[in-house]
Amino acid sequence: MKINNRISMRGAWKMMALTLIALTVAACSAPLTQAPTAAPSQAPTSAAAQATQAPAATQPPAATQAPAGQPVDISFWHIQTNGSGPQLIEQAVERFKADNPNVNVENVPLTNDAYKTKIKVAAGAGNAPCIFPTWGGGPLYEYVKSNQVIDLTPYMTKDNYKDRFLDAAFTPITFDGKIYGVPVENTSLALIHYNKALFEKYNLTPPQTYDDLLKVVQILKENDVAPFALANKPKWPGSMFFMYLVDRLAGPEVFAKAATRTGGSFEDPVFIEAGKRLQELVEAGAFQEGYNGLDYDAGGTRALLYSGKAAMELMGTWEASIIKTENPEFYKNLGFFPFPALTDGKGDPKDIVGTVGDNFYSISATCKNPDEAFKLIQYLIDDTSVAARAKDGRIPPVKSFKTDDPELQQILQLIQQAPSVQLWYDQYLPPAVGEVHKDTSQALFGLTMTPEEAAKQLEQAMADYAKQPQ
Amino acid sequence: MATQTAAAHAITRRQSAPHGWLSEQTITTTLFLLPALAFLVVFIVWPILSSVELSFFEWNGLSANRTFVGLGNWSKLFGDGIFWRAFTNNIIIVVLSIAIQIPIAMALAVLLHRGGRKLQFFKVVYFFPLLMSTVAVGILFKYVYDLQFGVVTPLLETLGLKALSRDWLGDPNVALFSVIVVICWQFIPFYMVLFLAQLLNIPEDIHEAAMIDGATENQYFWRVELHLMRGIIATAITLSLIGSLKYFDLIWVMTEGGPSRSTELMATYMYKEAFASFHMGYGSTIATAMFIIVMIVALTALAIGQRPREA
Repeated sequence: MKINNRISMRGAWKMMALTLIALTVAACSAPLTQAPTAAPSQAPTSAAAQATQAPAATQPPAATQAPAGQPVDISFWHIQTNGSGPQLIEQAVERFKADNPNVNVENVPLTNDAYKTKIKVAAGAGNAPCIFPTWGGGPLYEYVKSNQVIDLTPYMTKDNYKDRFLDAAFTPITFDGKIYGVPVENTSLALIHYNKALFEKYNLTPPQTYDDLLKVVQILKENDVAPFALANKPKWPGSMFFMYLVDRLAGPEVFAKAATRTGGSFEDPVFIEAGKRLQELVEAGAFQEGYNGLDYDAGGTRALLYSGKAAMELMGTWEASIIKTENPEFYKNLGFFPFPALTDGKGDPKDIVGTVGDNFYSISATCKNPDEAFKLIQYLIDDTSVAARAKDGRIPPVKSFKTDDPELQQILQLIQQAPSVQLWYDQYLPPAVGEVHKDTSQALFGLTMTPEEAAKQLEQAMADYAKQPQ
Repeated sequence: MATQTAAAHAITRRQSAPHGWLSEQTITTTLFLLPALAFLVVFIVWPILSSVELSFFEWNGLSANRTFVGLGNWSKLFGDGIFWRAFTNNIIIVVLSIAIQIPIAMALAVLLHRGGRKLQFFKVVYFFPLLMSTVAVGILFKYVYDLQFGVVTPLLETLGLKALSRDWLGDPNVALFSVIVVICWQFIPFYMVLFLAQLLNIPEDIHEAAMIDGATENQYFWRVELHLMRGIIATAITLSLIGSLKYFDLIWVMTEGGPSRSTELMATYMYKEAFASFHMGYGSTIATAMFIIVMIVALTALAIGQRPREA
């Protein structure tokens, strides 16, 4: 027993020694990657962050400002993981690399939700990738305020590169007159998608006015068809109704004034009236049962459309391209029309809610080779890439874009005619306020909050945000 | 039980007996513990401490500058209705989890134990929910509860109880309870296995002795078996308590804390504040508060569970 013990003890000692060595190595390297997340205060300025981060990044220390020909690394994150997205990116990167053989691109595709958390942690730790996508608006402004992204105005104005893009594409990425992103991926408008066959069956036509819409709702309801499919668990789908009601009631200025704190308020009667109209729709039975618990990502609303249980869906135009690949048979019956006009409203019925150019690509302040990074972004939206995106059923945000596809043509026309394109509220507003907007909008749909109370909460959140030290 | 205690004593005695290489043994023990300790410090203790530190700052999670606000976040927390609503929801889950899971798990365990080999098949089947990942369970039950395509509503209709049908996950009045049902479904097997293992540990002669003394099966369970299970029941309650206070994943998959905060938990609120609202400082305050609450509850539960009792 004793002898056995001793022998195994000696073995154990040896093992311990090895473990300790391994551990020392681990312990030494762990703080390097851990430290920034745990204690970002150690990097007082972003310049210092850049300096301290250098060893942790994939960058060889020598390559600071790279002269042509010297090897350069660019890390590039994107969330184009659906459909032909990965190929679109891959092909552009390959073309870029062929022309710039000295640049090594680390191309990292990430899924949407995972990305949102990952980029925040990486940027907070001073480890942001050179190029990363954003949706513009309030969240991008947080990065701007925190000096996490660089001003791209000089690049955009050089050779009038900016003129390549639709003007509306710059609204979500311009802050204090400076441009912080490049519009690339797509144009999405919130439109009412509908089942043409069902409309035909019940002798309905796309409603021009809100009163017509209420009639359509009533007839569908009488025939046991849910007028609208709505997946409001994630809250933003319902918010589209609220945004359109506000815009149709009073045009885009009321929201802009309230959101930018230039004399407006979210307790303006317009927001309260919009809430009332919204609850009027709910009470008219415009939505299928269980709308507040239904998840969008799982395809719940499309299942309702496909099965004929619902006739319409107010959704971004990306829905049409999903339906096209998911259910080509049903796609033949799919049509869309803009949100109807309010006869007593002051808003222009040609106004649109949506986003032009999203995703936008920004360059991080920690990027050591912004020139190369910008060049790479340009490949993502050059003529070859534009053609590839068009083939994928997207509308790239460039002026030169033309299409033969009748649906895309219709969407393109709607953008060109639109006097104003209202960016999604939850994207436009500061993140914390956007969250409150989504919560109150969902509560309005659930009839658990009065329009007055919802307006009050949103105004409170906006006022709290404005008070914060910027 | 008695034999076990004796064996435990024997082990302790042998370990504490003075040996020539006692100090060597101490060093060995320490060295063997060091690797685990190092990982604990780097990945658990350090992050907890930096969360505590962050709770005194206002920080959007991105900026290099953080604003020191002292106890500002903490006073906000105490007046934050949403946090207390989340806390209340956590408590509801704690109470209902314990009240539903432990008795059902016990009943199933006793049933399976009494049935012996005959019920082997059910032993395996009842264990299934525990083998599924929580996200899969969440998505599965989202479909089960779905009003258009789910199974709950048609089932109620068949039973003539259509009036009872609700928007299970979308109605703020029932959403929390809908989720608790799923939590119970998922965790009952765990406690069942725990209890079953303990039941198998009770020597057969105790049962025989009780029978010879004229006890019925019923009396044997309530007067003998249940008492021998006290320790494991205390463990189960403690585990359930801590798990329910930290609960996150299933709720996140099924409702994300909604609608109207009706299923908001401390953990989901913390995640939303820190990552969706860019309030990293306040998110850390919630996380720290959660840590303190769980710590106090866990220590109290352990203290009560380990209180010496007359046999």
